[in-house]
Amino acid sequence: MFEVRFHGRGGQGAVMAAQTLAEAAVIEGNYAVAFPFFGAERRGAPVLAFTRIDSKKIYSKTQIYSPDCVVVLDDSLLDTIDVVAGLKPGGSVVINSRDKPEDIDLGISVKTAVVDATSVALEILKAPITNTAILGAFARATGIIKLESLEEAIKRRFGEKLGEKIAERNSLAARTAYGKTVIGTSKGIKKLEPKKQWLPTYQELPAGGSLIEGKTDAGLIGPGSFIENKVSGWATFRPLRDREKCTMCLLCWFYCPEGTIVRISDRGDLMTNYDYCKGCGVCANECPVDAIKMVRARV
Amino acid sequence: MKKVITGDHAVALGAKLCRVDVVPAYPITPQTLIIEHIADFVNDGEMDAKFLTMESEHSVMSAAAAASAAGARVFTATSSQGLAFMYEMLYATAPLRLPIVMVNANRTLGGPPGIWCEHNDSMGVRDSGWLQVYVEDNQEALDMVIQSFRIAEDKRVLLPVMPCLDGFVLTHTVEPVDVPQQEDVDSFLPAFAPDIMLDPARPAMMGIFMPAEYIMELRRQTMGAVESAKKVIREINDEFARVFGRNYGGMIDTYMMEDAEVALVTMGTVTSTSREVVEELRKAGKKVGLVKLRFFRPFPSEDLRKALSGVSAVGVFDRSISYHGGGPAFNEIQSALYGMTVPVINHLAGIGGRDVTREQIIKMFEITIKAGNGEKVNPINWHNTRGETV
Repeated sequence: MFEVRFHGRGGQGAVMAAQTLAEAAVIEGNYAVAFPFFGAERRGAPVLAFTRIDSKKIYSKTQIYSPDCVVVLDDSLLDTIDVVAGLKPGGSVVINSRDKPEDIDLGISVKTAVVDATSVALEILKAPITNTAILGAFARATGIIKLESLEEAIKRRFGEKLGEKIAERNSLAARTAYGKTVIGTSKGIKKLEPKKQWLPTYQELPAGGSLIEGKTDAGLIGPGSFIENKVSGWATFRPLRDREKCTMCLLCWFYCPEGTIVRISDRGDLMTNYDYCKGCGVCANECPVDAIKMVRARV
Repeated sequence: MKKVITGDHAVALGAKLCRVDVVPAYPITPQTLIIEHIADFVNDGEMDAKFLTMESEHSVMSAAAAASAAGARVFTATSSQGLAFMYEMLYATAPLRLPIVMVNANRTLGGPPGIWCEHNDSMGVRDSGWLQVYVEDNQEALDMVIQSFRIAEDKRVLLPVMPCLDGFVLTHTVEPVDVPQQEDVDSFLPAFAPDIMLDPARPAMMGIFMPAEYIMELRRQTMGAVESAKKVIREINDEFARVFGRNYGGMIDTYMMEDAEVALVTMGTVTSTSREVVEELRKAGKKVGLVKLRFFRPFPSEDLRKALSGVSAVGVFDRSISYHGGGPAFNEIQSALYGMTVPVINHLAGIGGRDVTREQIIKMFEITIKAGNGEKVNPINWHNTRGETV
């Protein structure tokens, strides 16, 4: 049995990556299952997906807690999530990153493969959807599946949904990433504190789960507590507004799913609060005069 | 003051006496008289409540939930298809701990469409978290509206309560009812004062999305509230008896059970007829007794085990069918009596509104007595059903 845990963000294709890996394993005559774990999902939020591969039928229907390999589709997750939690001794990590393995601190020294999947995806797919590129790096780093099987799996799964052309481009992304993957060993210095979470007993939980403003050891709860949930780290892009072009039609203000665009009434102007902007680009897409451009947030 | 009124009128007077703030309403036979009486009270200035005519029962329960969350005392009534249409919102209100009181006039849940008494409408929502009490006369219907608000709003409970009364057999039958004095009800039932409610001055989050990290605890908490309702129901029953002089026994009531050798467990109005049948059979020298199953949620397992510990056989009346064989009361009682060796015999009758006669009830006792004597009888008996031999 070989178990893989994918860490990604909503929209990067972690679920599709897990499914495509399972398909590739099945192509090679194995049995495989892939499944997502969804929280309160929205584009940009951390997500999990899992793949199990074995030579015989897999009965286990639980999540994976001791993976053989961890795949990280977005290295900004390393700041907040202990991605190597439960990693089996001798396990490996595959990360979408511009850094060298030796420069990445995972808290443990472990076999680490890196590839700049975002750049590969932007170049070939014209979108920061990194799932196929990272699978190329996974094939190279683990040898669990052959590149040919992966490309065949991509052809099947992506071709069916998105057409042959997109499937071919994704296949190319996987192949390109396969060639660019660098394998080394991570640093093991930092101690990542586990994220504090308010977990009341059923007796402590207010009746019906109704909450008023409150403070716990794990942070704020109830109305207004979202102020602690800064999402700027999620962004691959961020919006830049051209004041000259802007007609103040307020469509961006209306459509922003996070409410980060603030109206400054005394100046008749708008301001974006980047702390809560996840870089989804809805504002740029909705702007009727193309006054908003999306630019790379981390270079 | 005694008034000769229908069950629906008694319920409406009960709601008025409880000084409810909001009544979202949608008519359905046989509860329509309830909301019509309340509409009259509000129109005539006898009742200071917001009467909302909604476009469906689903909207009725949605409005009820919102009003209750905002701190209002909410009453409504429904029946059959109307209750079924509320299904989603019933499951929303109980775990959110909103102490709404809604009377259900028990009626056939189609198909086939029918308007007469059957318990399968309220039985279908028995796992929604709502507490349910089944009454046998118009007096109990009125009194249980008052008690239901006390139970629902008790901080140890905070759950919605559904008093159930048999459609037509009570809703459209007049009999004398002692209507309590307003000042007595006022001192028995203090104003509703929730700890957390929707109030712009003190923002709250209610009914929020919850991931797996919380829902199991919330379900456990709701289960705990249903469980603690048992004690609260008994306390409030006793207090009501002291103040108003009518004692309903709490979760169950018993009749001539002290030395009974065989017992019949009944719900709703069949209990009332069965009281006379028990007297008749006692005169004929048969040591029979009656257990009235009042609350179906919380289910009075402990009370039943105690009440039925001395008998040689238990008959269970059901006015609805659970399609695995017997009726819901039969299933629950078998489960409650697990480990006791007493035979439990199911008696299905009155389904679809068919009249439950004294002869049928006598038959129920006869079969149960046979089982008590060790004779072989059918565990599930369809009474007065063509094609069945009982």
